[in-house]
Amino acid sequence: MDSDRKIIGQTIRSKEAPRHVTGCGRYTDDFTEPGMLHAVFIRSPHAHARIAGVDADAVRQRPDIFAVVTPDDLKRETKPFRPGRYAAGLRTTIPEYAGAVDKVRYVGEPLGAIAAKNRSIAEDALELIDVSYEPLPAITDVHHAIEGEDRALIYEELGSNLAWQGSLEYGYTEKAFKEADQIVREQLKIHRYSSTPLEPLACIASFDRFSNKLTVRTNTQVPENIYEALRDAFGLEDIRVIIPDIGGGFGQKIHLIRKYVVIVALLAIKSGRPVKWIEDRNEHMMAAGHSCEQEFDVEAAVKNDGTVTGLRFKEIDDVGGSVSTLTIHFTNKLNNLSNTYKVQNIRMDGYSVVTNKCPVIPNRGIGKPGMCYIWERIIDRVAQQLQMSPNDVRFKNFVQPEQMPYTTPNGNVYDSGDYPGLLQRALEMVDYEALKVQQREERGKGRYLGIGVVIGVEPGGRNAARDMAIFPEMKETPGAGGVNGATIKLEKNGTVALYLGSPNCGQAHETTTAQVAAEILGVSPDVISTTTPFDSDIAPWGVAAANSGNNFHLYDIGAIIGAATQLREKILKYAAHVLEAKPEELTIADGVVTAPGSSLRKLTFAELGKVAYNNQSLHPEGIDGGLQTTFYYTFPHAQPHMVPGPDRKVRAQFTFGAGAHVAVVEVDVTTGKVQVLRYLIVGDNGTIINPDVVDGQIYGSAAHGIAVALGEGFVYNEDGQLLTITLTDYGKCSAAETPKVEIEHRPSPSAFTPLGQKAAGEGAAIPSPAAIASAVENALEPFGVKVRNLPLTPEAVWNLIQEAKP
Amino acid sequence: MIPGAFEYHAPASLEEALSLLSANVDDAKILAGGQSLLPLMKLRLAKPGVLIDIGGLDQLRYIHEEADHIRIGALTTYAELEDSGIIREKCPLIAQASRVVGDVQVRNRGTIGGGLAHADPAEDLPAAIVAMNAELKAVGPDGERWIEAKDFYITMLTSSLMPEELLTEIKVPVLSGYKTAYQKFSKQAAGFAIVGVAVAVKTAADGTCEDIAIGMTAVGDVAYRAENVEAALRGRKLDAATIEQAAAVVTDGIDVIEDVNATPAYRAHLAQVYVTRTILAALA
Repeated sequence: MDSDRKIIGQTIRSKEAPRHVTGCGRYTDDFTEPGMLHAVFIRSPHAHARIAGVDADAVRQRPDIFAVVTPDDLKRETKPFRPGRYAAGLRTTIPEYAGAVDKVRYVGEPLGAIAAKNRSIAEDALELIDVSYEPLPAITDVHHAIEGEDRALIYEELGSNLAWQGSLEYGYTEKAFKEADQIVREQLKIHRYSSTPLEPLACIASFDRFSNKLTVRTNTQVPENIYEALRDAFGLEDIRVIIPDIGGGFGQKIHLIRKYVVIVALLAIKSGRPVKWIEDRNEHMMAAGHSCEQEFDVEAAVKNDGTVTGLRFKEIDDVGGSVSTLTIHFTNKLNNLSNTYKVQNIRMDGYSVVTNKCPVIPNRGIGKPGMCYIWERIIDRVAQQLQMSPNDVRFKNFVQPEQMPYTTPNGNVYDSGDYPGLLQRALEMVDYEALKVQQREERGKGRYLGIGVVIGVEPGGRNAARDMAIFPEMKETPGAGGVNGATIKLEKNGTVALYLGSPNCGQAHETTTAQVAAEILGVSPDVISTTTPFDSDIAPWGVAAANSGNNFHLYDIGAIIGAATQLREKILKYAAHVLEAKPEELTIADGVVTAPGSSLRKLTFAELGKVAYNNQSLHPEGIDGGLQTTFYYTFPHAQPHMVPGPDRKVRAQFTFGAGAHVAVVEVDVTTGKVQVLRYLIVGDNGTIINPDVVDGQIYGSAAHGIAVALGEGFVYNEDGQLLTITLTDYGKCSAAETPKVEIEHRPSPSAFTPLGQKAAGEGAAIPSPAAIASAVENALEPFGVKVRNLPLTPEAVWNLIQEAKP
Repeated sequence: MIPGAFEYHAPASLEEALSLLSANVDDAKILAGGQSLLPLMKLRLAKPGVLIDIGGLDQLRYIHEEADHIRIGALTTYAELEDSGIIREKCPLIAQASRVVGDVQVRNRGTIGGGLAHADPAEDLPAAIVAMNAELKAVGPDGERWIEAKDFYITMLTSSLMPEELLTEIKVPVLSGYKTAYQKFSKQAAGFAIVGVAVAVKTAADGTCEDIAIGMTAVGDVAYRAENVEAALRGRKLDAATIEQAAAVVTDGIDVIEDVNATPAYRAHLAQVYVTRTILAALA
């Protein structure tokens, strides 16, 4: 199927983009149900307070209010969520309800909700709910949280705000550091940010009390999380999750959304009416989840020739006011723990600290941008300390193409890749040497240009057992490997319908899966449709059936290939029987099966449909009726290290793309403002199914990572009030600030996947913060500036220059 | 994000608007383009019980050229100011400041009178009107009065308009022989000014400064004239070093704003930098 591919590898007309760009998408808010009510949430104005009481009597008595949920209702009528895999390391199990029941731990935390005839009435009624709080001191700094003398405890049950602490060691770091020629040290910091999807969280819940069926239409990225949350909360077993078009996810719609869906569902159960809730932007900014503020204390053991023999780092994660995602940013560093480098000895010490800020959640790459930042900043430091070129230090330490497949110290198996080739090509494309000359000349004229060159792997296809590496005492696995299904149906009229296990939130699932199915079946992608909305009543399940973890390329495409291949075999058997030929003699093109010889010996897919569904007399013997197949894909190369053993080695993800990034910036040293003049990526995304789709993923993720580095982010004051509740204050970059991203593809097809495909969704968001940091530092070399902390807002850059000035 | 309940009036005349305002003086807000007020109402930070929508009063939407000044109706939008040939030619500073207000949608809806009366310290136009010594016409039940731009602002979000008064017109003198520029520092292209500077400068043939007016916005709680900088520059040759030296005092005596966008120290520094840059841009 390699050389003669006709549709895979082509940019075909997008199936979903026309409706999205013309405003004709169908999102959750576009749906209405008869008698539908509208919900608003009761939220905490305090960062930290005990809930002394909630008086909702005035609201309950109003005839236009149909249901009220308070903390008491939540305790009485729902059960807490089971602790997830990121909370398994807690010293004490802490029951987590969908809303705050005893204390509020961050501004905007939901305590309950009300449902009214319309949103306006609901918002008016919200003002009549009287919540008595006993305010407690807010904890907004991790060091104060752990060591502060007068610190308050956010979870009394834990006895400390240091909710979790643990270590992982691969190889022998002590020996590596003892035998090192030099040790290079640095302290780094990454701030809190979000992916700010255009569509905030949304949900419509309805409950049929006769059949006990709960139906929710919502924009989650992971239907299973909603399904399990509703089962946990209500003990219901008949649950239907419908997911229409999603206006962007990037991780924001994986975790905390379950709280809101449970509370909206409770309103629907109590009122007996469908209830809709659409989150506001300021609610989203306050309480839908943030990325994790991370501090790193990094040390590298190096030889004088630039070889890095060991890396160890301490990481302090500010996880906010919840324990349910305690370790998510730490364990996600296992995915790219050794980045593109051959170092054998790595140790990581993690500290997860609860604070009175919004809980942390998955967010485009989760811990991976931080891990890449650790590597790429320390490699630059190694080069400075050894007075080598940073590029040479990278070349010196790369895993080489001939070592593939390559097993990393923590058990990841890199399927393929040419890291020296990617970096070399990036340097050529940007004409690195000429740029250095230009940089020197411009400095003479008072212009400060900087060049940042970094590289990062892009892991794809999640292994659900990864988190067990830090929780060896975990009794029940949170799942292992990846399972995801797809169904293909040849319709009676010869068209083809696909049903995917995971919802689409803007990555062109409909287009890409149609291309793959079209290639295998021998039919035009024009007659293939992928069903939107996703509907759990008909869609396949699976631990990897999730729009997250860079899963699509591996699990959804794997399932489509499996299902389409089985359907093709069945089509050939049916056609062979009707055409009186052998299946292996037949060819399929453009939806027509042709047998050798007479031009009359052919059968269209529409004719086959009639045979399969309407005419048993033409069925071959021993074949079941119909032309519909379901295939559940599992990754055939998931061993070794699918589940961590005593050595803690685990395949955190299964495929590994990579990208070399070059950022060329100009710093206005008077104001500190950074302008990106050029941004270039040489990427390995394996075999590309649709070039425009992959480029779109790269543009978006690069734009996000660049904006993160240059200043978008959340700011809390010392009282724990969030100062950035609008996109303007948050500092979201607009198109005017976003540079053109130049992309060249240099694919190394995966040895482990059916098409050689790799991931593309998170990719450019992983190395880009490091690229910008490196470029800004390079621009400010004459001032002796060292870039350690993100974000590089104009004021932060200006401060760096002021501090460095003699 | 839905405003609290309010009574809505769309008066057909200025007189009707004024009588509605007088009748509801404690609880009414005037709605013009809605670009500042409506977002605050949606967040329920503003909860007027009565909304008087003057958007239909076309008699307040005009640009009239007189002998030595231009009269601008309060409901003239930023887009109209930016595009007006008269404004560009006779009061270019107003066009220059209008061009960088918000984004296209804001400029199409937002009005000069609404923006000025809102008295947000980060508005762009106040820098231009204080630099130009504009005058603002307030109309109330007792007739009209004129307020000089420098006296228009009292503090953040508070102008010297009386509760029963409406801002109806802005009178901007035509400055001949002046060069002008407006520059702002903001995080994003369509972002609020973190510092905004309006400059009108007149130089002699030998480059000596005959007159200069510098309006500052987004630095203190209200827009102000940098009179100390102006005084230091009048009569001097306007080279970069001289300007930079003079700009050093631009925030002297000013309580510089602190917010999520900038600390006072950084904002004061930016104010100096942008005074220099804006004067040089005007001269260029």
